[in-house]
Amino acid sequence: MVLGNYKSAVAARSTDKGILSASQDGGIVTQLFAFALDEGIIDGAIVAGQGAEPWMPEPVVATTRAELFAARGTRYTISPNMALIKEATRSYGLDKVGIVGTPCQMQGLRKAQLYPIGMRDVPDKIALAIGIFCMENFPYQGLETMVEDHCTVKMESAVKMDIGKGKFSVYTERGGLSQIPLKLTHKYEQPGCHVCLDYVSNLADVSTGSVGTPDGWSTVFVRTKVGDSVWARAVDAGCFETKPIEDVKPGLELVTKLATDKITKNQKTVEARASFGVKADGSGKALRNPYL
Amino acid sequence: MSKVVEISPTTRHEGHTKLVLKVNDEGIIERGDWLSLTPVRGIEKLAIGKSMHQVPKISSRVCGICPIAHTLAGCEAMEASIGCEIPEDAYLLRLILQCANRLHSHALHNILSLPDMYLPGTDVKINPFTPEEPVRTVALRIQRLREIAQTIGEIVGGEAIHPSNPRVGGMYTNITPRAKAKIYDLAKEGVPLMHAHMDLMIAIFKNWDARPTAANASGVEVEKTEKFGFHDQGYMAAAPLYASSSLDLDPQWSPERWTEVRPWDWYMGEMEIDLEDPSYPFGGTTKAGAKAWPQMEACTGVPLYDGAPVEVGPRARLAKYRDYDRKGAMGLQIARQMEFPDTLYAMIEAVDALDTSGSVLADEIPCGDGTLGWCANEAPRGCDVHLAKVKDNKVQWYSLLVPTTWNFPTCSRALEGAPWQLAEVIVRAYDPCVSCATHMLVVDEEKKVVAQKLIQ
Repeated sequence: MVLGNYKSAVAARSTDKGILSASQDGGIVTQLFAFALDEGIIDGAIVAGQGAEPWMPEPVVATTRAELFAARGTRYTISPNMALIKEATRSYGLDKVGIVGTPCQMQGLRKAQLYPIGMRDVPDKIALAIGIFCMENFPYQGLETMVEDHCTVKMESAVKMDIGKGKFSVYTERGGLSQIPLKLTHKYEQPGCHVCLDYVSNLADVSTGSVGTPDGWSTVFVRTKVGDSVWARAVDAGCFETKPIEDVKPGLELVTKLATDKITKNQKTVEARASFGVKADGSGKALRNPYL
Repeated sequence: MSKVVEISPTTRHEGHTKLVLKVNDEGIIERGDWLSLTPVRGIEKLAIGKSMHQVPKISSRVCGICPIAHTLAGCEAMEASIGCEIPEDAYLLRLILQCANRLHSHALHNILSLPDMYLPGTDVKINPFTPEEPVRTVALRIQRLREIAQTIGEIVGGEAIHPSNPRVGGMYTNITPRAKAKIYDLAKEGVPLMHAHMDLMIAIFKNWDARPTAANASGVEVEKTEKFGFHDQGYMAAAPLYASSSLDLDPQWSPERWTEVRPWDWYMGEMEIDLEDPSYPFGGTTKAGAKAWPQMEACTGVPLYDGAPVEVGPRARLAKYRDYDRKGAMGLQIARQMEFPDTLYAMIEAVDALDTSGSVLADEIPCGDGTLGWCANEAPRGCDVHLAKVKDNKVQWYSLLVPTTWNFPTCSRALEGAPWQLAEVIVRAYDPCVSCATHMLVVDEEKKVVAQKLIQ
C-alpha cells in the first residue's frame, strides 16, 4: 500500500506541444488544469507562480491558460500553495478551486476539509486537487547554494532543474548542463520533510510525477471519483497521450521502491522524534506519530 | 392596584434579557423595565493598551450578528482619532460590507418576528419552519437573501462573521474583477427576491397592526390597544446607510450631547412579583413571591442624548432622513422592511464604482496623539458609536455605545399602555441584540467609577 489507494495508474503526457515545451515532464498538471478551466470544472487553480527571486515560487491563483502556462515546470523549493486556499474563495471570488501541491500540502488540504476550523465555506469549494510525487524539498537558500555553489550556475541562468537517476541537474540557457550527485544535496533538505511517509500524494484526486516513466512522460495515479471523472473526460477530449503503465520502463516497480525507501528512511525519524523531550514527570514526551 | 409580573428570559432575540412589568387590573402595563442580563465581557477594558490594529478585531467579537458594523465602527473610530483618510476604493468595499450586513441581519430578524404574526386574511399564526406553503417559499427566500448577503460579506470582508479584511487605514486587499462580477450577479439575483419579500413582510405587519386582538405563543387572545408600542422619545441617526465620524466636515453625531446614567438611578427598585401566569410561553412567567430588582440586575448603562433616551434603528434613520412617521411597534417593523431596497441598490452602485486595481490602503497611517475620535456606524439595529483615543499606535481609551443600549430605555417606555402578554412583541420590534449592549462600569462627570456597588 505504499502507493496509496488508486483507481488506475497510467503513463501519460500532454498532447499540447506548447505545454510540453516548458513543462517538467509530461505536462500533466498544467494540461489537466487547463482542461478543467476550459470545461468549467474549476474557476481557477492555485499554482506555483514566479516569485520575487529567480526560481523562487510564489503561490498564485491562475484563472486563465496564460497564467497557468507561466507557472509550468518544477521549482525545487517551497511554494506555500495552501496559504491561498481560503483567499481564493474570498477576494478572488472562486467557487470551484483547483490546487496543486506536494503530499504534505494534500494532507493539509484534506485536514482543512475534514476539520474546517477557520475555513468556513472552503471545504465544499475544492473541486480538483492534484498531488505531485515528492521525496523531499529544499528551502530557497538551500536550493541557491546547490545551484550557485555546487553546480556553479547563476540562478538567473538556469532554465530547468531536475532530479533523476541519482543526480541533481541544472540546465542553462546556453545549453550547458551541470550535475551533482544527489547525495550532496541531502544536507540542504528541510528537516520537516524527514517525518513525511507519503511519496505519491496519497490524498490527492490525481497524483503525478516523473518516476516510473521514460523522459518526457509522467506516471499518473487516478485516486478519487472526482479525479477519475476529470481524468476520463480529459483523455476522451484528447488532452493526453497515454500508455498502460505495465508497458513502460521502469514502471511502478521503481515508484514502489522509492516510496518504500522514503517511508523506511523517514520512519526512523518519526520513531526518533517519539523520544524527543521529557514531560514534567520525567517520562518521554512521545511526539505523536502523525500517521497513527 | 397594580401588580408586578416578570417575563424572564425573553425569547427570540439575541442575548439574555427580562421584562419586569407593573400592570393594572386590566393587564395593561403601567411601567415596564426591559433589562439586559447578559454577562459583561469587558471589551472596552480589554482594549486599553492594545495596538489600534488589534482593537477593532477584538470589538468585532462582541457579537456574531453585526460583527461587520463593530469592525467598521472600530476601525473608523481609530482612523478618526489618528486623523487617517482612507482611499475611495476602500470606502466602497466597506460600504458593500455594510449593505451585506444589513441585508442578512434584517432578513434574519424576520424569522424571529414571524411567529408573532398571522397569515394576512386568516387567523393562522406563521411558523417559519413549517414545510407547508406559502410559508415554505417565504422561509427559503429569507435563507437565500441571507446566503447572498453572507457570501458577499465573505468575498469583501474575508469572513462572513468577524470580517478580517477591514483594517485601520483601509482594507488589506482589494477584490479581483471576477469577485466583483460575482458580487454584482448575487446582488442582482437578490433584487427581485428582496422586493417580493419586502412587500409580503409589510403586508404581514400592517395586517397585525389592524387586528383588534392578538395572541402570543400560548394562544391566549388579548385585546390590543390602539397605540400599541408608542413612545414619545426622539430619534437618533447618523446616516441613512453608512456612517458619520468626527473626521466628517459635518458630523452627524456629537459626543457633547451624550450623557450616561447608571441603571441604579434609572430602573425600578426591589419589588415582589405578585402576578404569575403558568401558561405564558414557555414554562410560565416567574413565580409569585419571587423578588425582582431591575436597578441592581440591569447590566447596561443608560445612555441619553440631550438628556433623554432616544430610539435608534431603521425608523430613526427613516424619520431623520426620509420623513417617515409611522409610530408604534409595527411602525418600526415596517421601517425595517423599507430599508431592504437600499441595501442592494447601494451595493450595486458601489460595486459598479469600485476600481479593482485601485489602492485600498492609505499611504500614511499616523500613530495618533491621543485625540478623541468617534465613528457612528448605522448598524442594522441602529447607531453604533465607537469612541477611541489612540496615542503612539496604542489605544488609551475605548467606549462602545451600541444600538440596543440606546433602545433599552426607549423600548421600556414604549411598553406602557400595552397588554403585558404582548410585551415581547414590542421588544422584538426593536430587533434587540443584547450581548454588545452590556456594560457595567459607569463613569460620572469627574471620571470616577460610581457603580462599584454593582460589582461587589
